[in-house]
Amino acid sequence: MTLSTKIALKKNCVYISEFFIFTFLKHDHMSESVITLKNVRKAYQGNPVLEIPFLEVPVGIHWLKGQNGAGKTTCMKVIAGLIPFSGEILLREDISNKYNPVALRKAINYAEAEPLFPAYLTGNDLLALYMNTKGGDKDWINEVATQLGIHAYINFPVSSYSSGMLKKLSLLLAFTGTPQLILLDEPLITIDTAAVETLYGLIREKSEQGVSFIITSHQPIDESVIRLSGVLNVADKTITRN
Amino acid sequence: MRSTTSILDKIFVKRFYLENVGFFLILFYLFFGTVNGANLISYHHALIRGFISSTGFLLIVLGIWTAYAIKCMWFVMKTLHSPGYDFLFSTMGSIPHRERKWHWVRIQTEIYLPVLIYSAVSIFIAVAEHRYIPAAIIAVVNILHCVWPLWLYERKIWKPDTIFFTGYIQQWINKHFIKPPVLFFIYELLTNFPMRIISTKLASTGVLWLTFLLLSRDQAFDLRGLQLGVICCALLHMQLMIHHRAFDDTYLSFMENLPIPLWKIYARLTGIYVLLFLPEILMIIVNAAHATSAVGIATVLITGISLMMVFRCLLYFPKMNTEIHIRYTLSISFVTLFMILAHYEWLAILLLQLAAATLFFSRYRKYEAYIDPDL
Repeated sequence: MTLSTKIALKKNCVYISEFFIFTFLKHDHMSESVITLKNVRKAYQGNPVLEIPFLEVPVGIHWLKGQNGAGKTTCMKVIAGLIPFSGEILLREDISNKYNPVALRKAINYAEAEPLFPAYLTGNDLLALYMNTKGGDKDWINEVATQLGIHAYINFPVSSYSSGMLKKLSLLLAFTGTPQLILLDEPLITIDTAAVETLYGLIREKSEQGVSFIITSHQPIDESVIRLSGVLNVADKTITRN
Repeated sequence: MRSTTSILDKIFVKRFYLENVGFFLILFYLFFGTVNGANLISYHHALIRGFISSTGFLLIVLGIWTAYAIKCMWFVMKTLHSPGYDFLFSTMGSIPHRERKWHWVRIQTEIYLPVLIYSAVSIFIAVAEHRYIPAAIIAVVNILHCVWPLWLYERKIWKPDTIFFTGYIQQWINKHFIKPPVLFFIYELLTNFPMRIISTKLASTGVLWLTFLLLSRDQAFDLRGLQLGVICCALLHMQLMIHHRAFDDTYLSFMENLPIPLWKIYARLTGIYVLLFLPEILMIIVNAAHATSAVGIATVLITGISLMMVFRCLLYFPKMNTEIHIRYTLSISFVTLFMILAHYEWLAILLLQLAAATLFFSRYRKYEAYIDPDL
């Protein structure tokens, strides 16, 4: 066996071992749950709309699917801590809504399908509020604001925003801080195609940094642009993983 | 085809009188129903002679007429801002400048008409009695009240966003200040519901003025009298509290996703009510400083704020509607009053603070807006 062959073999061994380590880590990373729902029950005026005995959502990008009124938005609001419910939600099997409600809110961001803010607040007011509470890289978020075309309107009250601008602002706010999970409710509606591209880019960028996403959309998500880890189906008041 | 004038009358003038039927009925009763029919003319004659012969009385009457002119102006502005009336911007904006101004003056004059009629009679009496200066003042003020809103209406047509903090001031504030969450509700009131906050503050400061007037007649200043006045002031803020809850439910649900500890949210709630109570706080300090100690003033102020906190925190029970809320707030006010009368004011404050904090910390995260299934 020549020296060059030995070196080549050794290199291959290193590559193979690195491949196995990477694959194992990737597999381990993928199987790790980002959010766990235990006995989650949500009712409106006594009528149950969600009854989830147990659900583990692994790290990755998930498409939350369901018919109108199936409970997708309610599910997102429950996870984001916007509405009360019974049961427990655990982030990374560690941060509980019962014992660490503030830490949970810091780690989960949410963009509403139809955002509604007090009319007199400016984009800057809202961005400052989110940055002050959620934290994060101010320069990066300003760059995203520029990419989305919000920076020019940032000092205007939201009452002067179009529905698309308001949606972009809501999406921008969902990327503030250092979240581990971002919930996007119908992110593709009302925004222009350039903003859709920017959004896909942001999802990709954050996903590579280990941030998970749960996205609801009646529009098909372009899987050639972002790679979905799985689909969550909302039906019969519960959620199942495909 | 109907004329533009008749359509605008239907939108503004007829709606104004229809929406204010109750207001005019009460006013009519106070002016004409409470006086014996046989003495009605002499009563009003005396009333008019009273304010044309006294500068102080005339200023009060002019103040009331100004308040009514603001009410008229606000109605037009609110209509322009209401959903469904967007078409007014494009249609009114298309009318030639002079014609549009004429429409505005006519609309304002027609809804201001009750005051114009009464003031015309006053001017007639003033001239008959050779009191030309009051007659001229009344004439000028009322003409101005028909004209000055025109400037705001024109501005609104060209800048639909602006309501209260108009134009440059609003832009300057937006550019240079980040609004802290403690000011959100106060901004909401000032921008969208100024009449609501102004009427509450007028009523509340009126109660305090009356309290100080009655207290000044006594030889010794009894702090409990002032505390009774403050309880009434807190009760007068109930309408704002119901509004506050609706505002939080509608517009601030996004804030539930922010990582803010409960104690900070409670501190913000306290801050909101301290700021809302600020005019009363200043009025109490100014008027009571010479009559009582700093501790006495502090007792009064903390009682008022504690009551408002309890009243607001009661609304974290979703089914607490206005009717049930009034029952609870009145009951709490009576218990507090009796404790104050028995000189247990600090115990009352402690209990009120405990009640407010307990209600808040136990209810806040569980609270969700209640939608009546029968509605």
